[in-house]
Amino acid sequence: MAELHAGEMHERYILKTELLWAFGVGILIAATLSVIVFTALTMDINPPSNVERIDPKTLHLSGEFAEQNLGTTVGADGSVTARVIATQFMFVPRCIAVPRGKRITLRFAAPDVIHGLLITGTNVNTMVLPGFVSQVHTEFTRTGDLLMPCHEYCGLGHSEMWAIVQVLPENEFKPGQDGRVSCAQR
Amino acid sequence: MMQSDQHSASDSPDEVDEAALTQVMRIVPLGAGILAGGAVALLVLGYLAIYFLVFLPRGTVG
Repeated sequence: MAELHAGEMHERYILKTELLWAFGVGILIAATLSVIVFTALTMDINPPSNVERIDPKTLHLSGEFAEQNLGTTVGADGSVTARVIATQFMFVPRCIAVPRGKRITLRFAAPDVIHGLLITGTNVNTMVLPGFVSQVHTEFTRTGDLLMPCHEYCGLGHSEMWAIVQVLPENEFKPGQDGRVSCAQR
Repeated sequence: MMQSDQHSASDSPDEVDEAALTQVMRIVPLGAGILAGGAVALLVLGYLAIYFLVFLPRGTVG
């Protein structure tokens, strides 16, 4: 009888401990989700959500992802847009010149399989799906060469698929007559 | 204490000293709770530090 009593007490103690633990974990999960929701609402921190279709079979023939339109372009309003094709097993172009301290638009498309990319030291991180244009915005705060590897396994040459984002100081970022900017030769 | 242990053991090898068990069980779950709680607290602090000190300053990309 005494043994049963002790066992019962023990079970109650375990239940109390587990409930306390579950309560604590519940608070932590709620706090974590609250931080995410709060920053999403107040600072507009959201994942890239651009939904834009493009025909993967013809994207290289005409339109904004034709060869002559790839790379960095400065628009008439001063906006900077970089267009890149992610294909097995390279980014076209291999080097993208961007200015420091200016919000720019990066647009990606893939003609073959699913790719992905990130730019080191920034929050740029997106998948590139055939049939869709992936678009992200960012502002580079430091000059220098940043690595942009493919981070979605795309085939045997996946590990060789990477590009360089060359962040230039404002005085070195000079568009040509056609508004295009290429990487500086070093 | 030692005599008591020897006495208990000699009575029956399977018999558990309830008093000793109760005393141990009073301490062991507390230690496990502190260890697990400390590990989870470090994990959450690490997450929050990276979120506020690295992720947010890099700005939105959407």
